[in-house]
Amino acid sequence: MARSRQSRFERVEQVIIVSTLLLMAVTTIQPILNLVAISFSEPGQVPGMSGLAVLPNGFSLDVWALLLNHPGVQRGILNSLFITISGTVLNITFTTLMAWALSRPSLPGRRVLFVFVLITIVFEPGLIPDYFVVRDLGLLNTYWSVILYKMVNAWYLIILVRFFEDVPKELLEAAELDGANPFQTLWKVVLPLTRPALATITLFYLVYHWNEFLRPMIYLTDKSMHPLQVVLRQFVVEGDKLSMVGIDAMSNYEQAGQISIRALNAGMIVLTILPILAVYPLILKFFTKGTMSGALKG
Amino acid sequence: MSPDEKQIALSVSGNGNVPNASERAKARAFKFRMWWPYYLMLAPGIVYFLVFHYFPIYQAKLAFQDFRIFGDNVWVGLKYFEALLGSPAFYQVLLNTLIISTMKMVFFFPVPILLALLVNEVRGSSLRRFIQSAIYLPHFLSWVVVAGIFIAALSPSSGVFNEMRGWLGLAPHGFMTDSGAIRWVVVFSSIWQASGWDSLLYFAAIMAIDPQLYDAAEMDGANRWQKIIHVTLPGIAPTIATLFILNVGLFLNAGFDQVFNLANDAVRDQIDIIDTYVYRIGLQSGQFSLATAAGLFKGAIGMLMIVAAHTIAKRLTGKGVW
Repeated sequence: MARSRQSRFERVEQVIIVSTLLLMAVTTIQPILNLVAISFSEPGQVPGMSGLAVLPNGFSLDVWALLLNHPGVQRGILNSLFITISGTVLNITFTTLMAWALSRPSLPGRRVLFVFVLITIVFEPGLIPDYFVVRDLGLLNTYWSVILYKMVNAWYLIILVRFFEDVPKELLEAAELDGANPFQTLWKVVLPLTRPALATITLFYLVYHWNEFLRPMIYLTDKSMHPLQVVLRQFVVEGDKLSMVGIDAMSNYEQAGQISIRALNAGMIVLTILPILAVYPLILKFFTKGTMSGALKG
Repeated sequence: MSPDEKQIALSVSGNGNVPNASERAKARAFKFRMWWPYYLMLAPGIVYFLVFHYFPIYQAKLAFQDFRIFGDNVWVGLKYFEALLGSPAFYQVLLNTLIISTMKMVFFFPVPILLALLVNEVRGSSLRRFIQSAIYLPHFLSWVVVAGIFIAALSPSSGVFNEMRGWLGLAPHGFMTDSGAIRWVVVFSSIWQASGWDSLLYFAAIMAIDPQLYDAAEMDGANRWQKIIHVTLPGIAPTIATLFILNVGLFLNAGFDQVFNLANDAVRDQIDIIDTYVYRIGLQSGQFSLATAAGLFKGAIGMLMIVAAHTIAKRLTGKGVW
């Protein structure tokens, strides 16, 4: 008797635990699904739509057509893609090169170089000195200002060094005996063996560049260079609707009762997170595994 | 420092291999011929760190100077630090930073631990995977996006939160513009954005616990809660301690991106933190020296706290953060 009572009690517990977690999961994704639903709804239906809706009310691409034809948004997409892709290529190239050298245990000056990198983690002088450096280098209003700013992330560098250190010594020695130079050893032996770690860090960098808004906002005063995050911020957070829609179009939409600001907001947010959603399955595959093994390593 | 960085910080604890004497002697003999390709690889990175991390440290001298648009800046000693510490505005900003950090420590910090414990109790890997994929997602959204989502969800006219209040017969309320509520919006949006991903680290620690301990506890007749209290919690205690100490070290980082995007004129004085203050008076009002002094003040205190936290962590858990 006692046994079956306990198992019934355990079953109730299980239901409570699972429903708590499901509630959290729903609370997390419902607001996003709601914005997706609003952006695909019939524009006339949007003003009455519930914040709980997860399916579009009617179906229309009007909001998307308006957004994707807007020159500011188009430039934003291109700028974001350019900054993200070129930034990540530079990130991964130089982080890898530096990590490979630092992972050689007998590299003279290795400890000094580690301290050199760690100091930058501990001490950050702040936004204003950063700004003056970028200004003094003449990088204001160039894409370099936002691409170069985080060329090597000290944390990712260190985690990559740890992974490179785990490559079996015998393989490196074999490559060296075959006459491979350090670049060839890195390319042919080390990188193929550390692919999951590289993929993880590449995704970290990709997400970082795609999500960055502050440096572009400060360093790129020329609005035509703004990435999507800055365009989104101006529109949704600062509520600057006019620059987005334009006075003529604005009154047209409002008068015709067609496209509400709410629908445009929703569309802009969804557009900005679309690439994240696209790589999210990859993120789950690599990040979680990489972070797990990383945590276990310590 | 972001949550990712915290995780990495945890994962990289321990020291690098120290070369032994014979390796060292060999290296010295062939030094140049052997190592120059590696220094070539290091060069761009070293230049990068010098230019974008060390040069700003030198530039921070601006905090001790009067900024001049034309001509040379003039050294003024601690004038701007005195101005800062004597200013009620900075006092308020410092207070806000401490209040928001404390609120996050009390109301945010336990959430990822609880989440990890709950997720670990879910049997059925597809259900578990669904829950995890859902709660990790917001971590990868920028704070601009999260602010947009919160502005929509808390809207008095069409937001889902006020709609649900309506079911209870409560009147719609503009939480984003209520100076009494905005700090709670900050804490809650932190939980929404980061608690899932942060739980991953604790979850990994739980996975690393020896299954034999659970078997033994079961043999002794332990139920679910007893196993959590006597096996799981002690098993992840070092992780909890390290992250707690790390959070103390990062206490003055109350969350620039978050506050910057959630703030509006109605509530700014409640959540203006040191970082947003530096942005506002520096880049918006052009008071470069005062803003640099504020940034340097925060950097110096922050550095002390990080080093102290690291020392304590090393004492308590035997391993540091780096």
